[in-house]
This record gives sequence, structure tokens and C-alpha cells, in this order.
Amino acid sequence: MTLTIDGQQVTVKKGTNVLEAARTLGVDISAFCYHPGLPVVAQCRQCLVSVEKNPKLQPSCQQTCGEGMVVHTLDAQSTLARKQMLEFTLLNHPIDCPICDKAGECTLQKLYFEHDNADSRVDVKKVEKDKAVDIGPHIVLDQERCILCSRCIRTCDVVAGEHQLEFAHRGDHEVLTTAPGAQLDNPYSLNTVDVCPVGALTAKDFRFTMRAWELEATPSVCNGCATGCNVEIHHKHGRAWRLVPRHNPEVNDYWMCDEGRYTYHDLREQRLAGATVDGLPAGWDRAVSAAGARILAGLKDPSSVGILLSAVCSNEDNFALAKLATGLGITRVLVGAKPPVPARADGRLRVADVNPNLNGVKAISDALALGARVASEPGALDGIKVLVTLGDVLPGIDGARLAEIDVIAISAHERGHVRDAYVSLPAADWAELAGTVTNHRGLVQRMHAAFVAPGQALPGWEAIVRLASATNVKLAWAHPREVFKDMVAVVPAWSALTWARDARPLALRFAGSRG
Amino acid sequence: MSSSHDHADDSEHEGPLVLAVSDRHPRVRTIQVVRPEAQDTTYLAATAKGFGITLKHFAKNLFLPLKKLSGRANAGAPVEERFRNDIETVQYPEEKVTYPERFRGLHRLTLRDDGSTRCVACMCCPTVCPAHCITIIPEESGDTSIEKRPAIFEIDELRCVVCGLCVEACPCDAIRMDTGEHAKPVEDRARAIETRETMLARGVRSIATQGGEGPNWRATAPDTKTDVNR
Repeated sequence: MTLTIDGQQVTVKKGTNVLEAARTLGVDISAFCYHPGLPVVAQCRQCLVSVEKNPKLQPSCQQTCGEGMVVHTLDAQSTLARKQMLEFTLLNHPIDCPICDKAGECTLQKLYFEHDNADSRVDVKKVEKDKAVDIGPHIVLDQERCILCSRCIRTCDVVAGEHQLEFAHRGDHEVLTTAPGAQLDNPYSLNTVDVCPVGALTAKDFRFTMRAWELEATPSVCNGCATGCNVEIHHKHGRAWRLVPRHNPEVNDYWMCDEGRYTYHDLREQRLAGATVDGLPAGWDRAVSAAGARILAGLKDPSSVGILLSAVCSNEDNFALAKLATGLGITRVLVGAKPPVPARADGRLRVADVNPNLNGVKAISDALALGARVASEPGALDGIKVLVTLGDVLPGIDGARLAEIDVIAISAHERGHVRDAYVSLPAADWAELAGTVTNHRGLVQRMHAAFVAPGQALPGWEAIVRLASATNVKLAWAHPREVFKDMVAVVPAWSALTWARDARPLALRFAGSRG
Repeated sequence: MSSSHDHADDSEHEGPLVLAVSDRHPRVRTIQVVRPEAQDTTYLAATAKGFGITLKHFAKNLFLPLKKLSGRANAGAPVEERFRNDIETVQYPEEKVTYPERFRGLHRLTLRDDGSTRCVACMCCPTVCPAHCITIIPEESGDTSIEKRPAIFEIDELRCVVCGLCVEACPCDAIRMDTGEHAKPVEDRARAIETRETMLARGVRSIATQGGEGPNWRATAPDTKTDVNR
């Protein structure tokens, strides 16, 4: 289906709307209520365009493309209409951009600069509505800023399947609200904050922490569960400030769950920043040589040495540890995984498996014929005296049994069994490393390093390379790309994969508006 | 020969007197050398004259009143400029020169009528600051009409380049550099950091209307058609 927009010909699939067709040409028609992931309602009238042979202006979000259609977005009639619609939208908007958290990524702010840029012509007092309404456990609503686009209402309907928001009253007294006594508390509620084109809905977690233009964005994958929702880490000053979903039609579309958004807090919890030996701080060299000596001493009885792969660590880290085990002739291979949470599974994005990479560990174990057993199985740890562990997940082990094992832990966090480790080596956490994880459908997805790991921490695979040189195993990787290359050569299902170029953080001030 | 003769004639006006010119090499010449007399080579007269000038200045600066400088205590004394000495030195800190009205000095934060800071922690000043010397950590104010205020507001005066962009960027007239004081020398870098409290202590109530003039701003605004300054 071919049509002409502003003199440029474009061919699109049947059923595409004019707004999307224009965007493929780089013609960005302004819009508030239209969102590609939501049903079209055409109520903001901000995307009006002229269609030849049509006497009235058409909302381009609702107008499907027709063969031979000629559309004008820059003619005097539709430009004036959009400018006037914007003025109408701004009538009762408080224009409190300096204290509004959306400033810098606000569609209304962006369109005002692009289309209108004129002083207010209204001499009457603006309608006053409720501010800072506690609308749910995660979200604050400012009814004055709301421009009644209904994106949030549709988001709750479509993404969470719960109709929790609605408009009340009429005319300029119309407000967004929940049902009396009810809250906006569905597990996907924070998506409404992302889609909000203004600062009406703000996240309590992010509110008043950072301005949008100060942040930098790095693409990554949520490590909250096995779905592996694509996210952007928004970070500054070497720490993450929020996670927002990144569009991927194969995994999470435009959305992610509230629980996943809070996982970034863990990046600053109980971090292991320096290597320790026997509970005391040590440099990398001493810690690695102590660990190597203990492993080599333990290998006099090969059945007493084991490794623990981790379902919360990347494919590269797990593959590196598995290669170390095969190089040393270690046959006791375990997997540390968090127990499933069946209540999470809702048939949408949340699944019961809360490990980001259990599938990847399984694939590596199968490819290398390691016969990995889940560590919480009864008898899995019997007879083990030295255990090289990746990650901090080792459920179902009692303290007395742990005291008998010399643990060599490669972990980002100092908790669980890592506290009692003989040697602990600090590792980078998921937001600090370049690597891949495999989601519950077997899709291998790439994580990018947003900022550097704290203290002396190194990526897990690099710690394992050091451990290998201390135990006379030849592992000569200098970049995660090289680990990845060796890994996909071994795992049959991944043989077609290639290493994506490392993404650099993008300053959000250059990224335009969100929502 | 004639051409070289002309050349010698030209040089007579400015250079030394040429007595003879070589035939083979016209640039090789015999010139008359004028040597100074003995009384000139001792420089006695010039030295005495120099001492005289120095003594004149010494006497002038010792006995005449101080040069007129703005901010000087005796600057207003009824003495003509030519009967004043030449000393520019200001005996700081006993004596201080008043800075011009638009001098950009130490920062201060202006106050609301209730004495709290006008700053709403919008982050415009740390964003625009070219020296990255402003640190603001916002917090919720509890007042829904203000919402935000700075929990921490620090300016590192050592790093500040005194450009005044923070004042330009402020939408609330909350930060100013009109104190007329410059950053004081410190013995410890930490003491050069101005905090919210020290800047509020210097603060004044701003006469700007908080949140703008409101919908009736035209009633009080100057006429844009007749006011040439707008």
C-alpha cells in the first residue's frame, strides 16, 4: 500500500495508520493519546493532518493508510489546528516545569517548543485540582498536570488486564482517578508513569531524585525473572536511578513489571568490593593464589571438589567456570538457583522462575556434558570439601554443613554463603558487565555495562581467568566477546549468535521525550 | 661607480659619515667614528636628574594625601587631584574598595516570606553550571504547592568560575550573586564550600512574585509598545 506524505512516497503494510507511516519517513506528527502499544482512541486531536479529497482534518493515529492517499502534515490548515489544540491542552496546565519531574522528557513541553512557543492568552484563573494524590503504592498523581489523554487507563486495561483508572466529572473539571477506596496497585502499574506524556503520574521511587536530562541510558536486560524484559538502565554518578522498559516485540513489547523496576536497588546492597581470604581483606593476587592452592590441594581427591554455577549470573561467567571445571577435571557440578515463586506467574510478563539465566546454565551444562545438579537437591553437596561458587545463591544448605566446606566464592554481593567463604572474589553485577543471559523461552539477550563495578570488583569471567592461571589451566580470554565466541561454538542452539557491539551510555538530554 | 656613489649619498643622512668606499666592494667603506666625551660617559648629570625625580615622588607620596580611589576613607577630602599622591595600594583589609553594583560576589539564597528558601531544587543551576560546582539533593517539601526543596545545596567556591549563569538560569530568583563580597581565602578546602545554611544566612526576601504574577500579569507588566527597553 503506497501513499504520499508531505510529497514523499512511502509503502506500508495494510492497516498501518498514517501516523506510523509518517514516522517511518521521519515525519514526527505530534500526539499525546496515541501510543503504539495501546488501542487508538483519537481523543487528544493533536495529530490532525490534511488528507486530500477529505473535507475535514483527520486524526492521523486513527486514519488507516489508503492506496494513493495524499497526506499533508505541514500545510497551514493542519499546522494551525495542531497549534490551537496544543493551546487548548495548555489552558489549565499548571506549567510548573521547574518542579515537575517529567521536565526534560515531557511530550507537552517538547510540543510547546516545537509548535506553539506563544504566551498564554487566558486571563482567568486556572482550574485548581488535587495535587500529590497518593493514588497507589508506587505512584503519585498530580491532577492539575493531567491532560486527560487516557493512555494510563488503557495501559492498565491492556498490560495488567485490570481497569483501575477512570475519568470522573466533566469538562474542565474532569480528573483522572481510581474508584472510591481503590488503588492503582496492579503489578504493572508503573508502566502508566512511562506512558504519561506529562508529569501527572510520577513514580515514588524516582520522584525528586534526578532530573531526566541529567541521566544516561544504557540498554540491558532485567534480571528480576526468567522473562528477561528489555530495559534501559538510567544512571548517573556511577549508580542506577531507575529502570524503564525498552521496546522488544518478542519479549516484553513496551512494558515491564513493577517488581522488575525495583531490582536496581540491589546493585547497591551488601556489595563485595574487595577480595578476602579467611574473612580478612586481601588483594586480588593473594586471594587468587590462596584459592588456587586450596583447589589444587583438594583435587588430590577429585570427588571432594565441586563448582556451583549460578542461574543469576551471565552465560559468559557460567561458561568460564564450567571450562575451569573441565580443565581441572572437576566432575561435581551444581547449579545455584532461587526457588520458583508460582504466585508470580500471571500469563503476562511475570513468570514463576525468578532466575534470569537458568536456561542458559542448563544449555551450557548440557553442551559440556557436565550433568549439573540443582544444589538444593538432597545429597547434592555430600562429600564436597572445596566448592568454587559463582553468585550468592545457594539455597537449602545449613550452616553446619557450610562450615565443613571451603568455599571459594566469586560474587557481587557479600551475603548468604559468601559471608563464610574461605576466599571471596568480588565480581561485577549485572548492570556493570557486558554479557548475555538466556530467558525462559531460550532467547539469548545482551546486557551492556552501564557503569563500573565498585572497588576491586571484576567481571566474573575475568576472576575465573585469574583463578585458572593460579591452577595452571589455560584460559586466555581478554574480552567477554572471546568467552562468548568460544561458548557459542560449543552450545549447538547458540551457534548462529554473534556478539553485538558494546553500547555506550546515551545522554537522555539528546534522546527526546519519553512517554 | 656612479650607482655606489648615490648609495653613499643616501646613507649620509641617517648613518655615520662615510669617508671612502672600496672600488671592488661598494659595501666596504671607511666611516668616521664619533666617540663620546669623558663627561658624558660618567652619566653623572643623568644620575642626579634621576635621583631628583625619585625624591620628588618620595616627597609627594610621603606628605600629600592619598590618591582618590572609590571606597577609600579619605577619598572625599576636598583636595584637588593634582595635590594627591600616586599610591594605588589599598591597605586591605582595613581599607576596602567598593565593588561595582553588578559585581558577581559570593552566592546567596533568597527567602520566602516565611523565611524558608525560595529554591525548588529544579536543578537548572547545576545543569547550566560550566564548572560543575553546584550540588543539590532535593527532598519533598510537604507543601503540595511547592512540592520540592533542596535538602542539600552546596557550592564549591573554589571551583566556581563566577560566571553568573546559575543566577541567569534560576526561574525562582532563588540564587543571587549580589552580596558584593568575594570568596574569602581559606586554610582548608572544605571551608570554601558554601552550604544551604551559610547562603541562606546571607539571604534576603525576594520581591519577585513566587510562581510568577499569575493570570493577571498584564495588568502590572510594562507596556511593550512604548517601553523601548523591552
